Amino acid sequence: MGPDKSLLRTKEDNKVKRAPILLEMATGTLGTYSPSQSLERRHQQQKRTDFQEVDWARSDGRNFHQCRPAFLRTGAASSASGSAYAEFGSTKVIVSVFGPRESKKAMLYSDVGRLNCHVTYTTFSTPIRGQGFEHKEYSSMLHKALEGAIMLETFPKTTVDIFALVLESGGGDLPVIISCASLAIADAGIMMYDLVSAVSLSCFGKNMVIDPTSEEEACQDGSLMITYMPSRNEVTQFTLTGEWPTARINEAMELCLDACSKLADILRSCLKDNASELTA
Amino acid sequence: MTSTEGYKPESGLAAEIEVEAYHRLFPLQYYERHLAESVRPDSRALGRARDTTIALGPVTSADGSALVKIGDTTVLAAIKLEVMTPSIDSPDVGSVAVDFQMPPICSPVVRPGRPAEVAPVIAKQLSDVIMSSGMINLQELSLISGKAAWMAYLDIYCLNADGSLFDAALLSATAAFSHLQIPLVSLSDDGKLITVSEELKDKAAVEPVNKENRKLTIAVAPFSLTCIVHGKYILADPTSEEESVMDTHVTVVLDSKERLVSLYKAGGAVLLHTSVVKDCIVLAKQRMEELSEILRESLSAMEVD
Repeated sequence: MGPDKSLLRTKEDNKVKRAPILLEMATGTLGTYSPSQSLERRHQQQKRTDFQEVDWARSDGRNFHQCRPAFLRTGAASSASGSAYAEFGSTKVIVSVFGPRESKKAMLYSDVGRLNCHVTYTTFSTPIRGQGFEHKEYSSMLHKALEGAIMLETFPKTTVDIFALVLESGGGDLPVIISCASLAIADAGIMMYDLVSAVSLSCFGKNMVIDPTSEEEACQDGSLMITYMPSRNEVTQFTLTGEWPTARINEAMELCLDACSKLADILRSCLKDNASELTA
Repeated sequence: MTSTEGYKPESGLAAEIEVEAYHRLFPLQYYERHLAESVRPDSRALGRARDTTIALGPVTSADGSALVKIGDTTVLAAIKLEVMTPSIDSPDVGSVAVDFQMPPICSPVVRPGRPAEVAPVIAKQLSDVIMSSGMINLQELSLISGKAAWMAYLDIYCLNADGSLFDAALLSATAAFSHLQIPLVSLSDDGKLITVSEELKDKAAVEPVNKENRKLTIAVAPFSLTCIVHGKYILADPTSEEESVMDTHVTVVLDSKERLVSLYKAGGAVLLHTSVVKDCIVLAKQRMEELSEILRESLSAMEVD
């Protein structure tokens, strides 16, 4: 009986180990699963060990302190008051701004305008279908990042709706959404103290990597995101999560703020180009 | 406003404001005066559709995708393939699930938590047309008879709604299926199908299940045209404003062999004469030729790349 029991136990142990995999497989709707799941998992484990090394090459050939090239365009959706499209590497986001328009009937009178932010993902934005629904907190984080920058008192009693749709999630989604949203607000002609630009940074053991891809984000030890108004030198949002060596936080902030200032220049030149196109 | 110049007694800003006010206050009369001159406010002839473009493969996280613009109407379709177990009755066929979404970014009338009523209607129409037109041979989606087949999730998002959504959605669906690249898969030890990675492709250790059938053959493709019927006038490819002012819509779907796939006329104030339906079909035939040429061009441009 003895050996049999141990045999049983090992079988059970195996089952326990495999449970999360089965659970993941089951998340597909209608009992389907994506064939790239296991490949991606293996890939990620490999990367995780790589990233702990002192020196490694980023998959897109950037160095550690280099941001992805940004493509920005305003006026993507004509039915909105203002809109913008942003593409940072493979992260693609579209933001539409509606209003200022009448607040919902149930809302009480307010001297200042309201912001209503909503972030959604397309079902095909993530490598495995339908995983974008995990980011429920992004709507309120977008709201918090922007409300300090917008002159809410210029549109009392009304609401400005800011809707974002992530077409493809390639990492650093929230900072891209925030930067794109501030561009869309400017396009809608809503007054702001300054453009808000946002940049995130991942920490791996000994290294810090700016503007991470989703592959890097999945393996990071800690992350930091700053949303910043460069002309006023004010930070509207600062998030720091995970494991950080205290000494490095300052350096990380400096890196992010510098990248934010450069990104704001790009945002500004995009608006200028658009304005000169209209007058031409 | 060039088309209304004949009606302007004076020129300058005052006249401009008057036309704009007339447009706002009497939209139907505003349109009728245009129609009497056989022109539309956006300077199109009545039977002309707006400029149409197709961009293939904008979404790299999907197996096939296409972005379609008809005028200002913008629609993004993407297909993701997953593995399913086919039913016992039909062990050799895969499946297609079609969804059409109108997120709040696309139109001022759609708000979060209050989805557009037309979205599920369009989704159902699309699904019916795609399945009944015979565009896709579902047997090509089979992997291992009775054990595994592809489930193609086709999700279409409207990014900007300016009329003729069904036409744009169907074109994007057809383009996305033409662009679809089926990944190589092999059977793993635990009986699941897994993607064969690029590095392992050339090694003999893994035997891909589907060496052939990496592209779907699209024998006949359906194309559609929505028309508005108002009195004796037929307006092809309406904008959202035209759709809201005049309410009798006819959607004709023809396949590339000029066979009628389906015809929708959902309510509306005007009852149609058969001659009007015939006229709509003639317009749809012209449009079908135009669209299949645009699709062919974008596909050949992709092959050159």
